[in-house]
Amino acid sequence: MSQISERKNEKSSETSRFLSFFKNLGIKTKNAFLKFGNRFKDGSIGTKLSHFIMGSGNLYHKQIAKGLIYLALQIAFLFIFITSPEVNSTPLGFKSIINFITLGTEEGDIFNPTDNSMLMLLFGVIVFGLIGLFLAAYSSNIKSSYKADLDKRKGKKPTSFKQDIESLLDERFHIAMLTPAIIGILIFTILPTIFMILIAFTNFDSQHPAGQVLFDWVGLKNFADIFSGTGEISVRFGPVLGWTLIWAFFATSTNYIGGILLALLINKKGIKLKKLWRTVFILTIALPQFISLLAMRNLLSEYGPINAMLLELGITDAPISFLSNAESAWTARITIIVINIWIGVPYTMLMTSGILMNVPTELYEAAQIDGATKRQAFFNITIPYILFITTPYLITSFIGNITSFNVIYLLTGGGPGVPGYKAGETDLLVTWLYKLTIDESEYNIGSVIAILTFIITASATLISYRRSKSFKEEDAFQ
Amino acid sequence: MKKLLLLMALAMVVLFTAAGCGGKTPLTIWVGSESEAFYTAKMEEYKALYLETTGEEFPHEIAVKGVDTGTAASTFLDDTEAGADIFTAAHDNLGKLIAGSSSVAPVQSQALLDQIQADNPASFLEVIKGTVNGTEYTFGIPYIAQSLVLYYNKAFITETQAQTWEGILEAAVDNNKQALSLAGTDGFNNSFILLATEAETGDTSLKLYENGVQENCFGTGDDTIAKLKWGQNFFNHPNGAKAPTDSGWEVELKDEISISFIGGAWHYSAAKAALGDDLGITILPTFTIDETEAYGDAVTGTVYQSGTFADTKAFFMKKGSAYQEYLEDILLFLTSKDVQEESFEQVQNLPAYKNAADEFAAFQEDTLDAQLAAAQVRMFEFGIPQPFGFSSKFNTYYYSKGAPELILEILKNPNGNLTTHEAILAQMQKVESLWKTGLQPQ
Repeated sequence: MSQISERKNEKSSETSRFLSFFKNLGIKTKNAFLKFGNRFKDGSIGTKLSHFIMGSGNLYHKQIAKGLIYLALQIAFLFIFITSPEVNSTPLGFKSIINFITLGTEEGDIFNPTDNSMLMLLFGVIVFGLIGLFLAAYSSNIKSSYKADLDKRKGKKPTSFKQDIESLLDERFHIAMLTPAIIGILIFTILPTIFMILIAFTNFDSQHPAGQVLFDWVGLKNFADIFSGTGEISVRFGPVLGWTLIWAFFATSTNYIGGILLALLINKKGIKLKKLWRTVFILTIALPQFISLLAMRNLLSEYGPINAMLLELGITDAPISFLSNAESAWTARITIIVINIWIGVPYTMLMTSGILMNVPTELYEAAQIDGATKRQAFFNITIPYILFITTPYLITSFIGNITSFNVIYLLTGGGPGVPGYKAGETDLLVTWLYKLTIDESEYNIGSVIAILTFIITASATLISYRRSKSFKEEDAFQ
Repeated sequence: MKKLLLLMALAMVVLFTAAGCGGKTPLTIWVGSESEAFYTAKMEEYKALYLETTGEEFPHEIAVKGVDTGTAASTFLDDTEAGADIFTAAHDNLGKLIAGSSSVAPVQSQALLDQIQADNPASFLEVIKGTVNGTEYTFGIPYIAQSLVLYYNKAFITETQAQTWEGILEAAVDNNKQALSLAGTDGFNNSFILLATEAETGDTSLKLYENGVQENCFGTGDDTIAKLKWGQNFFNHPNGAKAPTDSGWEVELKDEISISFIGGAWHYSAAKAALGDDLGITILPTFTIDETEAYGDAVTGTVYQSGTFADTKAFFMKKGSAYQEYLEDILLFLTSKDVQEESFEQVQNLPAYKNAADEFAAFQEDTLDAQLAAAQVRMFEFGIPQPFGFSSKFNTYYYSKGAPELILEILKNPNGNLTTHEAILAQMQKVESLWKTGLQPQ
């Protein structure tokens, strides 16, 4: 009963945290607008002017360099926004916002180009990003001027550009260092992610190649198609998802348990040549994974050494197809899981070895004083300690296996095939996604599958981690 | 504050850099990687010719780049702005290249149109044309031909045996080997059965997008069912054909597990490496329907000639190229009979030129290269160009919607439920539906 009520409490606290996030967001937004109004009312003439001409407040306070930078930013932004310069024959500026909505209107003909819907979508996202950054700079320009106002009122001299630079290289060095990383994340992670998500709501597919045929917004149609019950995507989604989860479970658990057992064995007192054993197992990590996988595929191929040995020993009378041509899907699936053990166990073994060497000795000493046997110490100290430390690894490993591409692609290519469909018996969501986008140019469906994969992985991560002891009892083993 | 300032400054720098990039790029030509040096030399010749003809230096830089011809069209379509001004692609890519308003420019020069008309087999002339906004244009300029041939191990198969699948099977049984290895089981590699024609008349009931019409597909004729039944028997014979394995056909040929292989010119080097002096090359064999395979009009004793897709690689021009005024003249030169002959002599590109077998001296030599060329040219009598260039859908429906996997299931018959002609017919009805609609019948 108490467990049930605990869970209920946990759930309600999670819900209230979720609601309070949005509540706080609303309050913060309201405060920001209030502050904005107050600064305009309370600020100097320079600050008031900086609401219309960026940098004028700084220039008013004789912060020339800073003021000119703000001014240049405003001019550059307005120049790009108003003139909408063309990149690859597609405008980047205010026209991008219109194009983002229409995704192009010019169908073109044999001598004239069609509007490139894909670039229009992309440039729309970029321009919205630029507007966001511009607004941030705009706000910063007002704050900067207002801060100079306050400094003056307090009798202080507003900081010079040189002082700002020195500050960036000294007490605010973290900002100087983090800025390129943030820009990198914006350009290479956030922007493509938003772009990819938006594609899921269009009909950008093999029948609508960018620059040749216009594509359009289709709302949730692609998501509905997956659950419609007809067509390859709908028919194969369930089985592929099912196998993906089975694969992730076994690939994670076998490596995890195998790695821990191996580490315990190697670290057991009395085992000789420990370093040698560790080195032997680490060799599989030292080799690039794709080489190991291709080597395994050759070893297991119909006319490879393993089949030759089985034939030689009289165990089989014909070569067995273990991988992409296997007669049963489960033959290929089990083979893949076994190969994955060989490749993945050394990672867990290595990590667990490190953990085992760092279990606080006082825990064992205390247990010994209390009269615990070695077996009790093992099950009540060693195992909980390993589990506590490795839970986050276990979760990331599970997520990593859901999106594991190399193992499947290099060993079976998704095969054995399913008559009538492209998605094979060992295709994971991610390898199917690859086929759909790279081979079939079905970008919209690929994007839907990517979003669903993200939802599955993100939910699995959040739920499992928040319920783990590593999260709940963060300070337990400090 | 400073953080945002720096952020904005860097963002603007990135933006201006991106917008400011792109000086004028040279006139770019994509050719097959194996031909890069050859066509680079040819373009130098072209420049000299240009100087001689016009009295002026060719006014632009020309860059010849070797690419994977199998993916060149897709690479071009991924970013047409960055794509080559002239690029090579198999003719069946035409559908996706001209989808909508087309990414490639039509041929307009009468001289080039005349050369295309005069130099190419009639079958090629049909598949290099496409319709955009209701008007038909010629887009591709053929310069390479290719078809499937039989590579076989002369240590086990005699020249006579290599003429029929029954002969090859007999050799396989005698030596306890497998008769045939395949590179794949997709819609291209199963063409030796599916496209087989009656040897005596050249007839077949099979239709694939005939006249470029999506509905004109027919794969359920009596002869098709009988041919597939023959294929099933061939694949299920203990010494018959092998479905592809993870070991690969090269290993199977080299280790003498199988004694023949169906492949194109692009498999030649690997086949030669596998068999050395024992490599024999000939046209694809015939097969005879027996009483267990006969069905309806396809009676016992009917002989079928294995078929092939007999394709062409063509050059295409980028629509809106900054060098449009020069492209057709360059192509007139690059696809001329003389350059095709040199291309065959130097890099073994099988010419698209229709009289090559009679007129090109290198075809008459007694070499494996010449045998390969002769076999490919002869296979053109028994093949059709892949008829998928009319629409981007055709290629997808034929190759990517599961039809090849259904045909493979007939051939392998793993569960024994496709043994009867009726079961094969039912399976082919699904295949036909996939060809026509991309969907299996409900």
